[in-house]
Amino acid sequence: MKSLLGYLTAAIVLSAVAFLLGDYQTDIYRKLLLWITLALSYNFLFGIAGQVAFSHFTFYGIGAYAVVILVTQLHLPLLLAVPITVLICVIAALVVAIPATRLEGFYLALATLAFAQLFIVLLNEGGNLTGGTGGLANYQLPPILGMQLKGPAYTVVIVLLMLASLAAVWRLDRSYFGRACRAARDNPEAAAAMGVNVRSTRILAYTVTSALAGVAGMVYAFVDNTVSPVIFGLENSFLLLFMIIIGGSGQHAGAILGAVLLYVMPFLLSPLIGHHHALVFGLFMVLAVMFQPAGLIGLWRNWRRGSEATGTRPANAPGEGRA
Amino acid sequence: MSAPLLELRGLGRRFGGLQAVADLDLHVNAGEILGVIGPNGAGKSTTFNMIAGSIPPSAGEIWMDGQRMAQLAPHAFAARGILRTFQHNKPFESMTLCENVMVGMHTRVRYPLWQVLAGTPGSRRAEALAASKAMELLDFVGLGEWTAADVSTLSFGQGRLLEIARALAGEPRLILFDEPAAGLTASECERLAEIIRRIAARGIAVLLIEHDMHFLMALAERVAVLNFGRKIAEGTPAQVQQHPEVIQAYLGNVRSQPHA
Repeated sequence: MKSLLGYLTAAIVLSAVAFLLGDYQTDIYRKLLLWITLALSYNFLFGIAGQVAFSHFTFYGIGAYAVVILVTQLHLPLLLAVPITVLICVIAALVVAIPATRLEGFYLALATLAFAQLFIVLLNEGGNLTGGTGGLANYQLPPILGMQLKGPAYTVVIVLLMLASLAAVWRLDRSYFGRACRAARDNPEAAAAMGVNVRSTRILAYTVTSALAGVAGMVYAFVDNTVSPVIFGLENSFLLLFMIIIGGSGQHAGAILGAVLLYVMPFLLSPLIGHHHALVFGLFMVLAVMFQPAGLIGLWRNWRRGSEATGTRPANAPGEGRA
Repeated sequence: MSAPLLELRGLGRRFGGLQAVADLDLHVNAGEILGVIGPNGAGKSTTFNMIAGSIPPSAGEIWMDGQRMAQLAPHAFAARGILRTFQHNKPFESMTLCENVMVGMHTRVRYPLWQVLAGTPGSRRAEALAASKAMELLDFVGLGEWTAADVSTLSFGQGRLLEIARALAGEPRLILFDEPAAGLTASECERLAEIIRRIAARGIAVLLIEHDMHFLMALAERVAVLNFGRKIAEGTPAQVQQHPEVIQAYLGNVRSQPHA
């Protein structure tokens, strides 16, 4: 009940903001929410299940392209196009995960890198279906039950998507499935001895999070009303990784913090250093990896724990420790 | 006498040219503590790993409760009621003690994933029950005060106790201990022996592989001795200690160097 109230409050506040913004701010706000959404599901895959995959942004692209192609070229109703797109993402995720999780972590990274590159090649060579290098444009969100969602109302859809993703990863993390994911990451041999099917747990984690990225991609497709290969390149996959590592890997709050920080930073930095913000990201990344593997959220936790300065043993109860 | 819980029939394992275990017959009854000893390279660990499911036998059969354990993946053994501890503690380091133990319940506390996502009352109840069971088990092994602590705060001996609580969480019918006394202080060993006796008293079959003779002989009801992959003796600790082949192969050394 308490958590429901929290989500409800967040939904109302974040939705109210949508109605106060102009066109330019709305665009920034929507993309910020989408980055948070992606960071949350990628954090589950990378931070909690410990899978070094570079395909998360690719699934964002698959979701976006698939829904646009189904709606504009195959003229399917949106209510049919959405589940089919999810199904496409699930199948693509299984095709990558089933052979890749047979191998050790390093090969998953390679396989997903190859998959990400293949996706871009297919988009560029896709002819009329994908629109080639120029992508697809000049389409619109079809009316839903006779209503045309646009402006702040569509921003509310994105707010709900973000909160639903948060609820999903939060609940998965707190369930036997989340524990199995962490166990398979921490010590696969011990996890198997406790009855965890390590391989199917990894496949399931990859598939569920990739499908979440695909759903976010569907919503993104009608934000800019254009999709093109440039958007879904590897650069953004790495940005996602930076967000998680700088924010605090394995922590939902860290993912949110990292996404907000790295998305907003270029706007703040551009008056100072123009478009060289990648340099600053790189520096932050190196500092995080070398000195603060728990990310900014870990820094904050340490500070808070230190300032409380209570008993002799760390008393972060299973319930409160990871927000 | 009723049928044994675990039965090894002609079990063998060959690694290339090395016959690590050959033609091994062994059984454990519910509620019994069976010790397996033998000098280094006798095939104890190989036997242990075959029963735990981490390596497949190359000959013979493993029967658990009247069912043959054939070509199963390691994780399937836990579901059949066979759980183990590790000689070198293998905790899940990112989790609290309570969560570590809850992983042990993986095969027992299951509900569909959609219930997780929907946060159904059923899944919440199952989680709450699992957490309270984990607390009980941590109490049982004497770690009840530290349920919310990170595993990194534990001493080696406490880590061993956590291994036991985690294995018990899987509701084992057979629990396997891989040199549980290794690295423990004398007082920790005493406490461990007491815990193992209480586990057996719950009707759980206990199989111990141990180097520490004093620990094993005081604890086990029956002892099997391996040497060069073969069982050379089996019986009560007293019987085994009298066995000439055992004295020659193993205990002879121990008698001349009691602290070896």
